Amino acid sequence: MELLRALGALAEPPHPETARLAALLELPVPSSEEYTRLFLFELYPFASVYLGDEGMLGGEARDRIAGFWRALGEPPPAEPDHLAVLLSLYAHLADLERKAPPERAAVFRRPRAALLWEHLLSWVPIFLDKLQQTGPPAYVAWGGLVREVLEREAWDMPYSGSLPLHLRSAPPAWDAAGARPDVLVTMLTPVRSGLILTRSDVGRAARDLGVGLRAGERRYALHAMASQDPGRLVRWLAEYAREAAEAHRRLNGWLGPVADFWARRARNTADYLANAQTSPPCERAGIDHRAP
Amino acid sequence: MTLDELNRRLSAARAATEARGETFYPGPSRIHLAAYPPKERWDHWVELDSRAWPERREHRYMLVPTTCFNCESACGLLAYVDQATHQVRKFEGNPEHPGSRGRNCAKGPATINQVTDPDRILYPLKRAGARGEGSWVQVSWEEALSDIARRIGRAIAENRHNEVMYHVGRPGEDGFTERILAAWGVDGHNSHTNVCSSGGRAGYQYWMGYDRPSPDHANARVILLVSAHLETGHYFNPHAQRVIDAKQNGAKLIVFDTRLSNTATHADHWVSSYPGSEAAILLAVANYLIQHNLYNREFVRRWFNWQEYLEAERSDLVPTFENFERALKDRYRSYTFDFAARESGVDAETIAEIARVVSTAGTRLSTHNWRSAAAGNEGGWQVSRSLFFLNALMGAVAVPGGTYPNAWNKFVPRPIYTPPHPPRWNELTWPLEYPLAMNELSFLLPHFLKDGRGRIDVYFTRVYNPVWTNPDGFSWIEVLTDEQLVGLHVALTPTWNETAYFADYVLPMGHSSERHDLHSYETHDAQWIGFRQPVLRAARVRMNQPVRDTREVNPGEVWEENEFWMDLTWRIDPDGQLGIRKYVESKKAPGEKLTVDEYYAYAFEHSVPGLPERASAEGLTPLQYMRRYGAFEIERTIGPIYAQEVPPDDLQDIGEDHLGRVYTRAPKDPSPNVVPQPSPDPDAEGRRAVGVRIDGKILRGFPTPSGRLEFYSRTLARWGWTECTVPTYLPSHVHPDKLEDGQMPLISTFRLPVHIHTRSANAKWLDEIAHTNPLWIHPVDAARVGVRTAQLVRVETEIGYFVVKAWVTEGIRPGVVACSHHMGRWKVGDNGQRQLMATVALQQRGSTWDLARRTNVEPYPSTDPDTGRIWWTDAGVHQNMTFPVHPDPISGQHCWHQAVRVRRAEPDDAYGDISVDTEKARIVYQQWLQKTRPAHRYSPDRTRRPFWLLRPLKPPKEHFRLPEPVTR
Repeated sequence: MELLRALGALAEPPHPETARLAALLELPVPSSEEYTRLFLFELYPFASVYLGDEGMLGGEARDRIAGFWRALGEPPPAEPDHLAVLLSLYAHLADLERKAPPERAAVFRRPRAALLWEHLLSWVPIFLDKLQQTGPPAYVAWGGLVREVLEREAWDMPYSGSLPLHLRSAPPAWDAAGARPDVLVTMLTPVRSGLILTRSDVGRAARDLGVGLRAGERRYALHAMASQDPGRLVRWLAEYAREAAEAHRRLNGWLGPVADFWARRARNTADYLANAQTSPPCERAGIDHRAP
Repeated sequence: MTLDELNRRLSAARAATEARGETFYPGPSRIHLAAYPPKERWDHWVELDSRAWPERREHRYMLVPTTCFNCESACGLLAYVDQATHQVRKFEGNPEHPGSRGRNCAKGPATINQVTDPDRILYPLKRAGARGEGSWVQVSWEEALSDIARRIGRAIAENRHNEVMYHVGRPGEDGFTERILAAWGVDGHNSHTNVCSSGGRAGYQYWMGYDRPSPDHANARVILLVSAHLETGHYFNPHAQRVIDAKQNGAKLIVFDTRLSNTATHADHWVSSYPGSEAAILLAVANYLIQHNLYNREFVRRWFNWQEYLEAERSDLVPTFENFERALKDRYRSYTFDFAARESGVDAETIAEIARVVSTAGTRLSTHNWRSAAAGNEGGWQVSRSLFFLNALMGAVAVPGGTYPNAWNKFVPRPIYTPPHPPRWNELTWPLEYPLAMNELSFLLPHFLKDGRGRIDVYFTRVYNPVWTNPDGFSWIEVLTDEQLVGLHVALTPTWNETAYFADYVLPMGHSSERHDLHSYETHDAQWIGFRQPVLRAARVRMNQPVRDTREVNPGEVWEENEFWMDLTWRIDPDGQLGIRKYVESKKAPGEKLTVDEYYAYAFEHSVPGLPERASAEGLTPLQYMRRYGAFEIERTIGPIYAQEVPPDDLQDIGEDHLGRVYTRAPKDPSPNVVPQPSPDPDAEGRRAVGVRIDGKILRGFPTPSGRLEFYSRTLARWGWTECTVPTYLPSHVHPDKLEDGQMPLISTFRLPVHIHTRSANAKWLDEIAHTNPLWIHPVDAARVGVRTAQLVRVETEIGYFVVKAWVTEGIRPGVVACSHHMGRWKVGDNGQRQLMATVALQQRGSTWDLARRTNVEPYPSTDPDTGRIWWTDAGVHQNMTFPVHPDPISGQHCWHQAVRVRRAEPDDAYGDISVDTEKARIVYQQWLQKTRPAHRYSPDRTRRPFWLLRPLKPPKEHFRLPEPVTR
């Protein structure tokens, strides 16, 4: 499974040798600027960002993945949930399975399938979908190839049919009985909202709405926009969530319940926001639009 | 192209790349730990100059490996040699090094500070005035070498071999200089070991023959450190990274440390015990395992010398294993948790919890003690002995996650020459009073000289600083300034130190990138060698510019020791008449002096299994391979050698004693690995010990008299120490019962993580990080003394006092104070290192010495603009000078802990003041001498020392006989 290992290496900062790898894969050569823009500012290639309860690096999601390494008897690397690391580990398990005598192949096939369904397919297809919309051309081509390989693996590898633990244990975003959520925090937590809202998306929202975009991290920028035109911001976000739900739904063919989970979460977000579109919208939606 | 075709194409490309010895996935990468330049690019590595940003200015480097010399871990470094200037610009880790794996502590990269230190010694110096006066003239190497060689040659010719002495700090190499001394026929090796690790060593030695532990931390389930090994100590960097590996896998970490050290903060269980009580706790843990039958019964049955114990001490019992188990329970029953709690001040439940954790380890229990409590206390050697007792009970010996004997994880290639050990005995280093001492009684040398036991004609101090490092430094000054006692003092050192001021010659030696050395250490369960080399020399060779003498590339006239010793040896015996020259003579070109290239090429070609093949696969000679990569792993996962069957060829006309020790007449195979080995006595018919019969099979066993793990030591019994034949708790000299009113223990053995004794004061980055050593004192004690943080206190020892700042902290036990020994560097005149040495005045009034600070550290102009930016003024306080000698009567270890009184400083006291009465130091020396059981009274066989014990230079057996008559 050298292909996945090489694709993982291309998720690392470009290096003089990156061109050689890209040529072997017949992919465009990404530049350092493209790498920085995509992976440092737009789409962070860490599972914990998409699967964690807080939408941030680390936490329980990363611990779960580190635990997977330990269960394999391997010390977890410093960043066990980085996409490159996960693809490399998958390639490693596939190689072990291929080299094992037939009667022992299952020893490696089971963890390989678990890694695929629990820690890769639970978020990477959603991540790659987003990349297709916003990524620079070199990485769009790369992402297409990653997706192609993963889809083939999804068809080839056994699947229990149950949701990955990361998704099963994700708390609901809009629990009517619970305390009123911080909407902006929830929106920026993919596993809760079902959305990946990048910096580019926030900028696009500002352009679409004709409001000022304050430089800063996404939550800060959204707060600033909410203080200018809360009603239209909520409507924009609701529409964005609806589109995301539709995009997720289209993955159902090969992701099954995983795609359904993401689509359901995004649809719930859209519904929640739609219900909040009466005055004062931000307050109803739980957005504190006072100056951050 | 289909996915499968892409996959095949990539696999083929990777296979082709790696077949060329290159890296397919270059770093930095999370996947392949390649945050290092790929090795195929080490000849031409390009980096941008960070200071030139935003301009993209390229630096072209050649990366040359060497080995760090700033402690004894021998971690790998990569020197970045600038191709434009031919100078080293920086040091980083060497990813090819099996021990350090590319990771270094702060001291490694700081080597660049030492290389560029504006205060370093660049030329040979000879004193101009009286010794210690501080006047020097530059001399040529020729003059210095001729003078020294003439003097040594005369001593040898006049049969005064014992007047030549070489006193070494951390050797940083494996046996080169010992072989030089052997070539001279001189029993003049003197080490620092008895101020360092003799206590730790003795405890291990009485168990397994070998005197060092090699814990396999990475694979452990429970790690027990009686040390601060995540931050300092021997092999701490290689060990610390493996401790963390284990912790990431869920291992539990238990740390014994009276202080809340950085290591203690990472522990799952921190034990802050009263100093000296550690063995009591460990034996309470052992007792728990024993009383609850939680030990590895089968391992104990097979490997303990329980039968010998029963015969010697329980002859009332039929010698069965079941009876031994009963005897074991009887023997340790009194070591209850409550007993340990009373001794240690740690509550019984905490000790019980530790015992429970240890009991869950199975054979994956890695333990470590080296200095710490073993070096602090009288009887401290029982700490490491009691610690290893836990390994032995659990069967966690030389198995994954357990603790190995060091020699199995170490490889010392047989060199081109191995001269026989000297045919004489030096009583200045191996006195009759200490027949069981692990190493030379080095720190007693001033007292022995004052006693009139001998004199020294030529005394080398080599990267060693006894005036500052050893206890009782003023006694050293008294001796070193007496030319009747020390005829010629030659200091071999890369940088100024307190002892070099009292030398006749100061000869500049290289730092880690300026010298050759070869070594191997027990960092994990593997055998590897690391090669230190002058990197500029290696770089020149890569550029096809041969170098014949390392001085051609080193700064100034800085030399390296290998070439120095070979040259000096040649000069001592220029015509070969003394039989010495042959040991430094070329084999390729007889009649010519051996070169370092030939010396190392021989070892790498003939004595390192697998290296020639590996080198050949890359089209290199073994020497070229080592110059390129700096390290080679010979074998990984050595395993329990003791359990291997002795091959039939080694069993000829065997004899066997009633305890199963097996002896053979088969000659010993000359192993390429000449790692020091204990040598158990032969049987009565002269057969050598070869193994031990266990359950009918002859296994290799351990190099102990019994061939087994020695729960019971017949050596200790026969040499008069019948009260400690088995692991026992010996109350320390700072036990509460032995303290006078107002006294409390001072812990002085801990290090500052970024410094290393006298080697790092010239590293500005390290100086900036750490430059003070306040007295740790608990708030309760501070209130009693009436002192707050930063206020001055006077700490009174048996022979004087020092004045230091207080640091009031709950990180130390109430009733105990602590002060790190890494600070307090001083110089008496202009010569010296200015970044971390205060300038002081020394004053002598009879036997009373005073040291007072004249100026603190301050900025100064130099070739390095950073010296003008020095913002710190402190250099710490030198406490060791106020400590009298405390030689442990068994191990010979200086017992560092002090019984002190702490009170507020007097109005006239100043920070850093030291006052000592060396007459009092003499009295304390004599008091401790009374504790010994000398060979001439206790030897069971009219020898000076048990022959089987390790000794760096080991005279032939006939020289072990006691002299007649003994007058002392």
